[in-house]
Formats: sequence, structure tokens, C-alpha cells
Amino acid sequence: MAAMGGGVTQGQPHPPQLQQQQQPPPQQPPQQPAVEALNAAVQQQLNLEHVKIRAISLFKAISRILEDFDAYARTNTTPKWQDILGQYSMVNLELFNIVDEIRKVSKAFVVHPKNVNAENSTILPVMLSSKLLPEMEIDDNSKKEQLLQGLQNLPVASQIEKLKARIDMIAAACESAEKVLSDTRKAYGFGTRQGPTITPTLDKAQAAKIQEQENLLRAAVNHGEGLRVSGDQRQITPDLPMHLVDVLHVGDGMQNVVDASGMYQRNTPLQSNTLTAQNALLQATGAQLMGRSAASPSAGTSFDNTTASPLPYANSPRSGTNMNTPSPQQQSQQQQQQHHQHQLLQQQQQQQRPKMMPLSQHPQQLLTQQQFRQSAMPGLGQLHGQPQMQQFSQALGTHQQFQGRQMASGIGQSQLGQGNPMTRHLSQFSSAANSALFNAAQTTQNTQMIPNMSGTMPSQSLLQSRMQRTHPSQLLNDQMFNMGGANPTGMLPIQQQGTSQSAFGNMQQPNAQSLQANMVALQNNPQNHHPNFSQQRPQNQQ
Amino acid sequence: MECVVQGIIETQHVEALEILLQGLCGVQKERLRIHELHLKSGPNLGAVPSDLKILCDLEQPEPTWTVRHVGGPMRGAGADQISVLVRTMLESKASKNVLRFFYALGYKLDHELLRVGFAFHFHRGVQITVTVSSINKMLKLHATDEAVPVTPGMQLVEVTAPASSENYTEVVAAMSSFCEHLAPLLHLSKPGISTGVVPTAAAAAASLMSDGGGTTL
Repeated sequence: MAAMGGGVTQGQPHPPQLQQQQQPPPQQPPQQPAVEALNAAVQQQLNLEHVKIRAISLFKAISRILEDFDAYARTNTTPKWQDILGQYSMVNLELFNIVDEIRKVSKAFVVHPKNVNAENSTILPVMLSSKLLPEMEIDDNSKKEQLLQGLQNLPVASQIEKLKARIDMIAAACESAEKVLSDTRKAYGFGTRQGPTITPTLDKAQAAKIQEQENLLRAAVNHGEGLRVSGDQRQITPDLPMHLVDVLHVGDGMQNVVDASGMYQRNTPLQSNTLTAQNALLQATGAQLMGRSAASPSAGTSFDNTTASPLPYANSPRSGTNMNTPSPQQQSQQQQQQHHQHQLLQQQQQQQRPKMMPLSQHPQQLLTQQQFRQSAMPGLGQLHGQPQMQQFSQALGTHQQFQGRQMASGIGQSQLGQGNPMTRHLSQFSSAANSALFNAAQTTQNTQMIPNMSGTMPSQSLLQSRMQRTHPSQLLNDQMFNMGGANPTGMLPIQQQGTSQSAFGNMQQPNAQSLQANMVALQNNPQNHHPNFSQQRPQNQQ
Repeated sequence: MECVVQGIIETQHVEALEILLQGLCGVQKERLRIHELHLKSGPNLGAVPSDLKILCDLEQPEPTWTVRHVGGPMRGAGADQISVLVRTMLESKASKNVLRFFYALGYKLDHELLRVGFAFHFHRGVQITVTVSSINKMLKLHATDEAVPVTPGMQLVEVTAPASSENYTEVVAAMSSFCEHLAPLLHLSKPGISTGVVPTAAAAAASLMSDGGGTTL
């Protein structure tokens, strides 16, 4: 905003003039055509010519910027803001300097516009407004009234004096208040690290009471004194609070251990059928294991951790059921249950199987699933050594049950642990445990395992190829998901059954190395299922 | 491990303490209503009885259960010098049948109390929790709705911070410096050491409760 009083004083020394600010860039040259010299004094302070030149150049700069903007608008290009801002800041600075200079001598210049006319009538009030907002004005007035109460009628000078006196009084009051505060602060030691030097003392009796209360409270919190309820009062009220209603049962003595068997029995019916079935199976195999392991309270838990692979659906459902793994006292009851649940279980296998095969890390579980889904497969890659043989034989026994269902030939539902020619093969196979084993494994091996499972055999070549490509554990997982429902159409016919039979028949001892050797021998069998790989892979890759 | 100090404050000054804590901690206060069940192990679990605390947080819409074991305090010359109690503490969330579980194991209820108040959880170098609560006892077993305060005129202030054996010195330092800020209202000490009431409490409370002046002439 530039101030431009165009004017000249006709030689008169600085009459006080109103300063006026205008928005548009200054209209430079002095309005009067007659060139009148400025007052010498003013001229010393301000070189008007100079100011004029600067103002003109400023105007030119601004108009240039405006033109640029115009061009941007017309061509629709994005302006380079960096440049523009730079130019603007320069213009701004220049303007500020000019205004500053003029302000110094603004007293000498006349007001512009001098008169109210059509063009400035609308804008003049705004320019003139030093008027406050209405609310502020009211506020101002009321405060003024308050202040000048009783003084309005006196002459201004005495008004001023009275106000001055008032101000002095207030200042004095503030000072004394400050003093008092600092004194008190010192007295009480606030703001210093040390304790108070002058402490307001408590009444002795009061202090004693407080001490007593404090001891009560601390003892109650830390040691529970004063909170113990005598035995006869320890009856569970029927109206328990919400959070305890379903936790405690009315009638259970606080002193007694909650009836464990009652709890377990109550829970088992709540399980789904599948879980119940598995539970039963778990118990069944557990019962067998029990004979071997000590009948300790932890026997129940031995199922989950160690070797209870016998379970076909062994993984998460089992861990779920392990929650309810009963203490040894419960075993006997459930062993009785298991037998009729067996039938249930086997009937439900078909539906359960797809559900029950989540990923599992447990090698034995993998094994069981594998065998279950296909025959004698890769899961074995993770097994080592003989010690697991025994359990596997049991496991395999159970597997055979399930496999039997699958089998077209219908091996039928055998009892647990039932001896079976297949068992031997399976067990031998299980102990091999090597991915190499399966790389070498030919289709025939699989079929060997379960000669009757022709309908359900997955492509052994597929398996072979997969073994070669993927890590055994991955393979297991893939297969698990794959083989949810045996896909007969995708199965390749079993081949080379005859030739490898003999070779396999030689594998009597479940020794990994020997098996491996045998496998290597078997590897020599030609593989003629390659054309089918491509078919199978995408299918099973999913 | 945890570092803990306790203090007491008269109930009349609790509001002032709340204001002070609000200003110091910069977090919202959380209401506290915890049913604490202290269990003691039976003889079948060993010669030395062990204590357990089962806490049920009743403030949540769904009560949450926690099991906590508090061990013995750190001992030794160093421990005596620090003004904060450092002790082992193990805590875990549990399902709602934790009580039945421990009863089944052979624990018996020793005593129970209800803690009603508020807490501030904030971070000041270390995570610190300040709880101000009135300790209530239940005249009838488990009757939390009819609990009465053990000391009506007095409430317990507890400042705790989790620590480990490596960093407990820092935690202790942070806690001590925080506790100093509370000095005008209350003194905090190791549990078991009584402190009495602070004489400046009334004045400090009054100043905290006032609206701070600032009226115009």
C-alpha cells in the first residue's frame, strides 16, 4: 500500500495531515500540473523525484507480473511458483521501502483523495474506518464508563490525575501481594528441594488416628489382614456377582476342590461329533500307550507331545481335545466310551478328513496324514530311525482303517493294531524317511503299499516330480490340500506293479540306508508318466 | 520384576491428586474396579505355601481375568538404599475359569478385596502406572456389590513400573523423580513402611482445586 499525497505544501511548514493508504499502485506524478517546489526541509528528508522514479519502476514490475499471470491463464500452463514468489517478494520489499520513506514525511503531505466524490464514496468509509466492531465498541464504552464514573463532569486534566492516582494504588497493591507470596513460599519451602522448614503441626490425636488408619490400610493391601472371613461365613451366596456367576457354582464348597470328573464329563458332550470321535480314538490309542508309559497324571498329556501319532486326524483337533484330556482317573471311563465311538468315528471319517488335515509340523502327524491320503508318501521324509516304528505300526494299523474306506476293494474296518500284510510294508516305508527316498520312489512303490487302492491312488509320477521340485514338508502340505477328496480322474493307472514288487519285497528291515539302496535300485525303472506330468501339475498346484 | 511404592492420601484430597496427576501424566484417567482374590496353596502343593492373586477387572464390559504372582523383594545393601521396592512379579492374562482351575489344583481363597478408584498409565522414560484406589472388603463372600472400605477416610496410592534385572536402576530413578512431583500431596514409600500424611497436603490440595484466579479488575 502506498501513501501518496501528491502534494505540495505551499511553503507552509508541516501542517498535520491525515495519512492515507491506497490499494492500487501509486499514481505517481504530483497531481498539480504546476510544479511547485517542496518545502526545503521536506525536500531534504525526501527526494520526491527519487520516490517517483522508484514508484514508477515498482508499478512497472507489478504490471509485468500481472501480464505474466494473464499469459499463464491464457495458455493454461502451470506457473513457476518459485519465480513468481521471488518476484513478488522483491516487489513487496521495494514497496515497503517506499512507504517507509514517505511515512517519515507524511505529515507534510495532503490527504488524497481530497474530496468525496463519486469514485471514492464507496471506498472512503472503509479506508477511514478506525471504528471498532459493534461488540467491541460496546465493550469499550462500558469499560470507559466504569472507569470514569464520577469523573465525567470534571475537566479532563483532573480526570487524568485521578486515573493516575488509581493506577498508582493498584501498582502498590500488586507489589505488596507479590511480597507476601514470596514470603510464604520461603516459609513453606515450596520450590525448594528441602522439606518445609515451618511445618503446620497436626494435632497429636489426629496424627495418631491417621497413623492407625494407615496401618490398617497398608496391612490390608499387602497382607490381607482384616479381610479374612471366618470359615462359617464362607458360604457362597446364591446371588454371586456377574463375573463369578458362571465361574463358581453354588453348592461348591470353597474349601473343596472342584469336582474334576464332573467337569470333564460335562464338557465332553458339548464337543462336536467329530471331536468326540477323535477324542475316543485318542483314548483308544492312548490306552495302548498307557500300557507302556507310567500311569501318572501326566500320562494324559503324553498324547499330545510325543508320539501319539496314531491319531489319523492328529493335529489341531487333537490339541483341542487335549484340553480335556482327562486325568488318569478319567481314562477308564473313556476307554469304555471309545468302543462305541469307534464306529461313529469311522463313519465320519470321510467327511472329516478334509477338515482334519490342517498343516502340521509334527512329523508323525504328517506321516499319518500322508498315508491316509495317499499311500505311503513323502511325509516319511521327516522321520528317522526305528524307534518310531512301533507306534507307526499302530498308527498304520489305524490308517489302514481309513484307507480301507477309500479303497475300492474295501479292506473293511479293522480293529486297531490289527496285523496286516500291508502293515509291514507301510512300516518299512515309514522308517525310510528321506526326500531322496521319494525322489527315487517310483510310482510302483506307492501302489505296492496298498495294492488295492487303485482307484484312489494319486499319480505317483506326480508325486515323484513334486518331490524333486519341492521340499518334502511343502509337498506334504500341498498334498494335504490336494487330496482332500481323492480325485480318481486325475489318477494315473498303476503301472509296473509286477516288476517292483519283488524289489520291494526285499526290503525287510526298516533301515533307512538299506531302503535307500533299494530305492536307488528301483530308480532304474523307466518312468513313462512324463507326458502326464503337465496335466497333473497344474491341477494339483492350485 | 516390578518397582513399586505405596502411599496414602486422605479421601478429601483425592480429587486434588487427580488434578495433579492429570497435569503430570498427560493421559486420561482410567476407572478402576478390580476384584482381587488372594489364593494360598494347599498342603498338597508343597511345604511352603505359595500365594497367588487373581484379579478380575470389572470395569470392562466383559470381565477380564489376570493371574499374578508377587515374589519377594530384592534384598541386600543396594536394595536398602533405594527408596523403591523392587520385586519379582509374574503376571498373565487368563480365561474366566482360572479360579476353578486353581481351586482344582488345591489353592484356597485366603482373602479378597475390591479396589475401586482410578489409574493413570503413562510413559516417562519408562512405563509407569499410578493407581489411586479405595480398598474395600466384602462382608459376605464375593459380595462385591456390598463392599465397604476398610478405611473410609483414606485411600491407597500405588506407583508401579515394570522392570527387568538389567534396567531396574533406570526404572527406579524415573519413578523416584516422578514421585517427587507428588511431594506436596503425599509421600510414597516402600510397601510396609508407613509414611503418615503430608502436612502440606491440605494447602496443596486447596491450591490445586482452586480455579487459579485470573479474574479481571
